Amino acid sequence: MKPMKKVFLSILILTAAVLMCCGCSVSKDQSSSTESASISSVDDLSGKRIGVQLGTTGDLYCTDYEKDGSGTVVERYNKGADAIQALRQGKIDCVVIDEQPAIKFVEQNDGIRILDEEFTNEDYAFVLSKDNTTLLDQINQALDELKADGTIESIEKNWVGAESELGKSPYEKKDVDRSNGTITIGTNAEFPPYESYSDGQIVGIDIDILQAVCDKLGMDLQIEDMAFDSIITAVTSGKVDVGASGFTITEERKKNVNFTESYTTSKQVIIVKDTSAQNSRLSFADKLKQSFIDNDNYQYLLKGLGNTLLITLFAIIIGILFGFLIAIVRTSHDRNGSLPLLNGICRLYLTIIRGTPVMVQLLIIYYVILANINTSKILVAVVAFGLNSAAYVAEIVRSGIMAVDIGQFEAGRSLGLNYSQTMRSIILPQAIKNILPALCNEFISLLKETSISGYIGLMDLTKGGDIIRSTTFQAMIPLISVAIIYLVMVVGLSKIVGILERKLRNNER
Amino acid sequence: MNDKITQDNSSGNEPDIILEVKDLHKSFGDHEVLKGISTTIRRGDVLALIGPSGCGKSTFLRSLNLLETPTSGQVLFEGTDLTSPTVNINHVREKIGMVFQQFNLFPNKTILENITLAPVTLGKKSKREAEAQAFALLERIGLKDKASSYPSQLSGGQKQRIAIVRSLAMDPDIILFDEPTSALDPEMVKEVLSVMQELAESGMTMVVVTHEMGFAREVANRVMFINEGIIQEENTPEQIFSAPKNPRLREFLSKVL
Repeated sequence: MKPMKKVFLSILILTAAVLMCCGCSVSKDQSSSTESASISSVDDLSGKRIGVQLGTTGDLYCTDYEKDGSGTVVERYNKGADAIQALRQGKIDCVVIDEQPAIKFVEQNDGIRILDEEFTNEDYAFVLSKDNTTLLDQINQALDELKADGTIESIEKNWVGAESELGKSPYEKKDVDRSNGTITIGTNAEFPPYESYSDGQIVGIDIDILQAVCDKLGMDLQIEDMAFDSIITAVTSGKVDVGASGFTITEERKKNVNFTESYTTSKQVIIVKDTSAQNSRLSFADKLKQSFIDNDNYQYLLKGLGNTLLITLFAIIIGILFGFLIAIVRTSHDRNGSLPLLNGICRLYLTIIRGTPVMVQLLIIYYVILANINTSKILVAVVAFGLNSAAYVAEIVRSGIMAVDIGQFEAGRSLGLNYSQTMRSIILPQAIKNILPALCNEFISLLKETSISGYIGLMDLTKGGDIIRSTTFQAMIPLISVAIIYLVMVVGLSKIVGILERKLRNNER
Repeated sequence: MNDKITQDNSSGNEPDIILEVKDLHKSFGDHEVLKGISTTIRRGDVLALIGPSGCGKSTFLRSLNLLETPTSGQVLFEGTDLTSPTVNINHVREKIGMVFQQFNLFPNKTILENITLAPVTLGKKSKREAEAQAFALLERIGLKDKASSYPSQLSGGQKQRIAIVRSLAMDPDIILFDEPTSALDPEMVKEVLSVMQELAESGMTMVVVTHEMGFAREVANRVMFINEGIIQEENTPEQIFSAPKNPRLREFLSKVL
């Protein structure tokens, strides 16, 4: 058990070192950048570093500044919360974002403020596929009725009204007959108060309004969380019926999707650093509590970890099965020229899989190949990572088989064993022993690669940490915790394979 | 024992023919290694194949169990044409043992497993029968105490004796030896040759590619000199070694003896 202790100790030391570095770098950033921010109106944006959320109208408008030659830089973040973090750390000068999320962000973060002058005004609406006009009409009619009877106003007051109205009129799901089917909506639950995670559920204005619409139409509501810039593609590909994520009506978007009637108006506002405010910084213990204990945040990590392990385990199984199959086809062909067609297919497969990034493959499987099939995202991830890994496993196994002396093969065949018996009882056991370290490396990469599952809105470990990050506005603790959990898993996996390797090695030499 | 063989041959009993090779050709690409070899091997024959390196003797030997596929010609084993596409070569190979220069023991299996793997996997014997036979064979070559060792723990000579036993465990009708002593240290050659001699004396049919002229002279009942892909001379060892006719053979013998 001594080596185990040593490993654990080194992880601890590493963690401490990383935490210290983070602490230093954050404080340095914050002090150095205070003087650079000098934006007091829209006119000052030119030549500045502007943060936006990728694909939002803020992004759209600010991109015009970037093109005017004044040296304006637009930094596009996947989440509004990331942009706010960057602003606080002085990496950018301001953030252009929708008003309601901006208010939430400013409430929860010290040292930033919203400029009085708004950037633009805009209308929010839901988006539907161009060929889904029946549902569009139904939703529009329901929205009309909900506006007329005051439901929408009451929902908005509940979320963003005056202090006395907040939380006073939550929308209650009605007990109605839901035999008319299901509306699946795509949203990006990092956009409070329109949609965000709370106690593991996605809630917000958009969600309440669509629940009310569903109640009117006698339908079920199903919510899919995904990256904001994926929602419109999800709608056009039929993956979801309705996109609901504070979508501003723009001409650009109208080319691809239909908008419902607007259900609310909002503004894009500018958030800058508030130089006058003094930073009241949370103690480390408070940050820990906020990251893990408050709102049962640790549940996101636990659930994410479970999904990560699930995806990795089954992807490894698929990878091994297909990998060995491909390797055997390829080596049979190399050895005696059999199965030329299958070999050709395998080679094409290897070329495609190894020639494209796994993230692109994941997105293609989810948004293109399985676009119209409603499967669980876990299954999609298992298939994507499994098929990807199979290609690498195949080449590892093939090299292992080719490395076994040809005499072993001849000895087996000369005793009367057929090809597959020779493979199974003589060649493969030796090949596996040789390739175990390489296979272990492949599975470690696979485990870490699953961290991109968040791109299809799947809550894996990384995404779990991201949710905590976007609700607590703490970057360091969730990210470092996630890193440590991966590290522990990888070290554990290496240990297991090490033991296995030693056991196999005992037979020889 | 040569007397016994001669007696068998003279009887001319056709069912005693184990292998018949007819006009065997083998090319690797443009390079023709075997240029038409024909011969007949009878039960109890011990045939030594000699010749310079690269003359084609190993290729010829490996063609006899189709480890090399002949380009043309026929190999008939107990009347079955092995080059016919309908032949189940795996069944035939059960009856043709082979011993390699590099031993080719399975390094991840114990000596006992090396010997019993094929008979058990192919359902020829139960595990218990195969193990009993393996112990008996190991006893015969004095390596019974190595049953649970791994090949890496054995000397080269021991490995090659195990390899011979492994092929014997399939109860073959003939055993092919491909330079069985060439990879051995000189002091280990003898222990392997004596096992082979014992085997020959027990009546096993053997085809041996060898550089051990002593073995060819003492143990074989026929010696075949192959050069440039054809049989240059075939005769009894006495004739080959004391009265070689072929000039190439004379040249070869002058170099190796």
